[in-house]
Amino acid sequence: MILTTTTIDKIKTRMARYPSHRSAILPALTEAYRQVGNLNPAIYKEIAKIIRVPYVEVAEAASFYTMFPKNETGRYLLQVCHNISCSLRGADNMLLYIQEKLGIKLGETTKDNLFTLISVECLGGCSAAPMLQIDDTYYENLTREKIDSLIADLRTNAAHKNQEAPSTATPDSDSTDSKDDV
Amino acid sequence: MSGNGNEKEQITLTIDGQELTVDKGTNVLEAAAQIGIEIPYFCWHPKLDSVGACRMCLVDVEKIPKPAVSCATEVMPGMVVKTATDEIIKARRGVLEFILLNHPLDCPTCDKGGECDLQDNVFNFGIDKSRQTFTRKRVIDTQTKTTFDDKRIGPEVWRNMNRCVTCFKCTRFNKEIAGEWDLGAFQRGSSTVIDAPPGEQIDNLYSGNVVEICPVGALTNNDWRYKIRNWKATKADSICSHDADGQNITLWYDHRQLFRATSRPNDAIDDGWICNIARYGYQYINSPDRLTKPLIKKGGTQVEATWPEAIELIAKKFSKIKGDKGSVCIAGLLGGNQSNETAYLFNQLFRSVLHSNSVDYRLEYTGLTDGEHSEAYNCLYDAPFQISSLETADCVLIYGSNLIKDHPAVNLRLRKAYRKNDAKVYTANPVETKSGDISTDELIYNPDCGTAFLVALTHALIDGKLYKNIDEAKAAEIKSLLEPSNLNEAATRCGIEVDRINYLASDLAGAKNLFILGGDYLRASSDRSRQANALYNLANLLDIPDSNSAILASQANSKGARFLGLSPQLPAKLAKTLADKWGTTLPESTGCNTSEILKGALEEEIDAVFVMGANPGMRYPDGPFVDAALDKLDFLVVADLFETATSLKADVVLPLAGWSEADGSYVNLSGMYQKFSRALKPKAGIKAGTEILQLLMTAIDPQLKFDLSSLSQNTRDVIDSWAIPQRDKEKFFPVKQAHIVDHEAFPYRLLIGNDLHHYGYLTEHCPSLMKFASEPYVELSTQLAEKLGIDDGDLLRIESTSGKLVLKSKISEFFEGDVIFIPNNFSAVDVNCLVSKETGGWVKIEKLDDK
Ligand code: SF4
Ligand code: FES
Ligand code: FES
Repeated sequence: MILTTTTIDKIKTRMARYPSHRSAILPALTEAYRQVGNLNPAIYKEIAKIIRVPYVEVAEAASFYTMFPKNETGRYLLQVCHNISCSLRGADNMLLYIQEKLGIKLGETTKDNLFTLISVECLGGCSAAPMLQIDDTYYENLTREKIDSLIADLRTNAAHKNQEAPSTATPDSDSTDSKDDV
Repeated sequence: MSGNGNEKEQITLTIDGQELTVDKGTNVLEAAAQIGIEIPYFCWHPKLDSVGACRMCLVDVEKIPKPAVSCATEVMPGMVVKTATDEIIKARRGVLEFILLNHPLDCPTCDKGGECDLQDNVFNFGIDKSRQTFTRKRVIDTQTKTTFDDKRIGPEVWRNMNRCVTCFKCTRFNKEIAGEWDLGAFQRGSSTVIDAPPGEQIDNLYSGNVVEICPVGALTNNDWRYKIRNWKATKADSICSHDADGQNITLWYDHRQLFRATSRPNDAIDDGWICNIARYGYQYINSPDRLTKPLIKKGGTQVEATWPEAIELIAKKFSKIKGDKGSVCIAGLLGGNQSNETAYLFNQLFRSVLHSNSVDYRLEYTGLTDGEHSEAYNCLYDAPFQISSLETADCVLIYGSNLIKDHPAVNLRLRKAYRKNDAKVYTANPVETKSGDISTDELIYNPDCGTAFLVALTHALIDGKLYKNIDEAKAAEIKSLLEPSNLNEAATRCGIEVDRINYLASDLAGAKNLFILGGDYLRASSDRSRQANALYNLANLLDIPDSNSAILASQANSKGARFLGLSPQLPAKLAKTLADKWGTTLPESTGCNTSEILKGALEEEIDAVFVMGANPGMRYPDGPFVDAALDKLDFLVVADLFETATSLKADVVLPLAGWSEADGSYVNLSGMYQKFSRALKPKAGIKAGTEILQLLMTAIDPQLKFDLSSLSQNTRDVIDSWAIPQRDKEKFFPVKQAHIVDHEAFPYRLLIGNDLHHYGYLTEHCPSLMKFASEPYVELSTQLAEKLGIDDGDLLRIESTSGKLVLKSKISEFFEGDVIFIPNNFSAVDVNCLVSKETGGWVKIEKLDDK
C-alpha cells in the first residue's frame, strides 16, 4: 500500500460528498498527489479499490490532467501556462527565460532536485497572464524580474526547511479550495 | 421507459427543403438518412449514445447561430435544417483539415484502405491540400523512424495512434456495451492515446468489435493485418458455428483461404456485435492439421485409403451387422454444429436405411440417468425465447448459466436491458460470473444444490402469497410437492440467506416483463430434469409467457438437430413427416440416447457407432466410461475435420468438410432458422457431410433415389413441422433436491466447461483464440488459494477417484469457496478422466513442490 490511512480517510470523507463514486476520482487523485508528490498506476489501482470504480477510469482521469505529475519531480513543480492568453502576453519568452535560468529543458528537473519545469494548458488565470503555478499558488503577471525573485525566494525557502527538518517533498495540503474541486 | 415504439410522438421538420416526419428522439443525422441525405460522420454509431466528439456531422439549423452537430441534435417540430450550404461545406473541410493535420497518409499500406470513413469523407468533402506548415505531431517509432508506431494492445488488437480520429467509438463500445474495463482514452487533445490501462491488455471476449467499429485504421486485428486488400476478398454470408446464439457473420476469403469474419448485423440476434469466438472461430477451417484422406485401420494402425474403399468398407460392415445381429446394434452420434442438411441425411441413414432409432446429438451431457429429459425440460428447451426481446425486460433471473461464456449475444442483451431499461438482474450460479457487476444480487448456491435454491424460491413465493392465477389450496398442494419441504430448510441446503431469497421473490413477483433463463450449469448437471421441473413451476406461479422462460440450447445447431428428430424418441407427427419424406416406414424398436449407446457398447449390445462431427472421447463428461465404451466397439466410424481422441479409436476415419465449406442452415437457440452460404470449397480429399451420407446410403441401398436439390426444402419442411409444446399453466411438478455423492476425501467440486475464448473441441485449431488461452488450467478462488498456499501459476495435482492430472493454477476473482473449474477445450490434457458417475465431480487438490 502506498496511500497512508490518513490519505485514505481523506478520500473517503470527500467521497461521501458525491452521489456517484466516479465523481470522487479527481478528489481522490488530488489527495494521493498531495501525499506522494506524483502519481503512478499502483496508486490508481489503490484508488480504484477505495472508491470502487474501474481502474481504467482512474488511470484515464489522471492522465488527462497535467497538474498531476506522473514521474518524480523536484521540490517545486513549475507549471507554466502556454495557452492562448498567456502566449499572447509572452509565455513563450518566460518559458525560454526559465529554461535558461535553471539550465534545464522543458520537462526536466534541476540537478539539485529543486525545480521541475513543465508547460500546461490554461489554468484560468488569464486575467493576469502570463502566469505559472507552484503547488497551490499562482504567480501572475510574470516578468523576468519576478521570476528572478521567485526562484531566489524558493531557494532560500528550501535551504531553511532543510535546516529545520528533513524535506518531506510534500506539497502543502492545507489549501483545500484549489481548482481541483471545480 | 418501456421500449414500445408504437406510441412514439411524431415530429415534423424540414431538411434541405424536404418535409419529413420522424419519431421524437431521433437526431438530425438519422432523420436525414431516412430521406437519403447523407451527412458525413465519424463518432456517431446507431447503437451508441451520441457524444458529438468529432464535429464531422455539422449542419445548419435555422435559429441556431452556429453550425450544429447533427448527431447530437434532436429533431424539433418545425426545425429547418440545411446540410449543404456553403458555410457547412466549408466547415466540413475545416474539420477534415484538422483531422488530417497529423495523419501520416499511409493509406497504401493501411489495412483499412477501401473501407475507411476518413478516406471516404475526405474524398467526398475534403480539400486536397493542407495549409499547415509547421511540423506535424506524430508518434514515431524510434527504432525504424517511421510513423508506424503500431503497438499491440491486446492478443489480437494493434493500435496506430497516428491514424486515430478520436471518435471514442472503441472505448464507448467497450465500456457501455460490453461492460469491460480494459481499454481507455488517455491524455487529451492531439496527445490522446487509446490503450489498455497500464500493465494490462485488451483481451475481453468482445474486443474484436473495437477493431470493426474503428472508422479508420487506428485499430486493426492481427488476424487480418497485411494479408489481403479487402476489395480482393470474396464475401459469404455465414453464421457462427460454435454457440447456439447464431451470431451473423460475413466470411472474407479468396481461392486459398478464409481471411476474416466480420459482423453482419442482425438486430434480432446480435445487434451488430460479435464475440471473439464468432470472429476468430472460423480459423479452424484454415488449419494445416485438417484431415485430408480417409483412414482405415489395418492390423491396429490407421493407414490412408481412398474414398471408395472407405465407403465400401463401412457399407459392408453396417450391412453385415444389421443382417447378423439386427439394426439395433448400430448407433449414430452427431455433433451439435452439423448443419440441418447433414442432420437430416444422418437421420435418414439411421432411421430409414439402417433402420435404427439409436441416434443422438446430445453428446456433452452427463448420463441421462433418469431416462430421457423431463417434459418440463423439453418444453422450456423449445420455448420461443427471442434474444432481442430481452432488452425490454424489467427483471431477469439468470439461473445456472455463466452467460458470457454460454451465450455471448444473450449476455450483451442482458446488459442492454440493464443499461437502457433499468432492468433488475439476478443471477444464481454455483460460482460468480461476469454478470455480477449488473446484478441486484448475485446468488451463489452450494455445489449441486441449485434445485434446493429453486425450491427455496418457490416456497418464498408461496409463503409470501406472491403467486398469480392459483388459489391457496392449490398453493398448499404445490408446497407439498417440494423437498426440502419449507423455506428455511431449502435455504440452508443451498446456502443462501432466507432474506435474500424473499427479496428476490418479491422482485420477481413485482416485475412487469420478467424473464427466467437457464443455461450451461443447468444443462450439465445430472439432475437437470428436476431443475427444469422447478423452473416450469416458477414460470407458472409467476404466470410469465412461454417466450420469457427458457432453457437455452448449447451448440450452433443442437436445436436444429432436435427439431429434425435426431434423438431416439420421435413425436408421432414428426415420425410421420419423416416417413412420408423418405417413403419408408420407421423402425419400431426403441432407440438409445447417448449414454445408453455408450452403455450398450460397453455391454456389447451395440457393435457399431458412427460419430459425425463430434468428439465424445474428449467431451463426454465421464471419461473412463466413454473410453471403455469406445474401445469395446466392434466397428467405429468417425467423420471429422481433425484427428481427435475419438478418431484415434476409429476403424474408419473420414475427412469431413467444415461448416463454411458447404451451403447449409442452422437453427439458433430461439428456434430461428438461418441459412449460410458456402465460402471456400473443401480441399481435395475432404467431403461435405451431406455428400458422405449420400455416398454411404447409396452404397448400402443402391435402389435409393436422391434429389439433393430438394434437400434444403425438405429439411426446412421438417423443421417447420416441429410442434413447439406449450406450457400447461395448470401443471406443477414435484421437485426434490437430489442426494449429493458421498465425497468425504474429495472436498472440492470440479466444474468442467468452456474457457472464455473457446467453445467445444474445434477452437483449439484457431490461432487467434489460442492467443487468449492456449492450455488448460485450474481456476480457483482467492480464498481457496490462500487456504492451500497456492500462487497464480503453481502446479497442482487434481485427483478424483477416477483419475488425476497436473495443471497450472489460475486464481480468479470470479470464484468463491470450494468450487474449481477446468476448461475442456484442449486435447493435450484429458480433463474428463477426473469425472465419472461415481466421483460426482468431487476432487482433491495438492500443491506440487516447485522443482
Ligand atoms: S482508435 Fe479508432 S475507434 Fe478508437 S478513438 Fe481512435 S479512431 Fe475512434
Ligand atoms: S491562457 Fe494562461 S491562464 Fe488562461
Ligand atoms: S458524428 Fe457528430 S460529432 Fe461526430
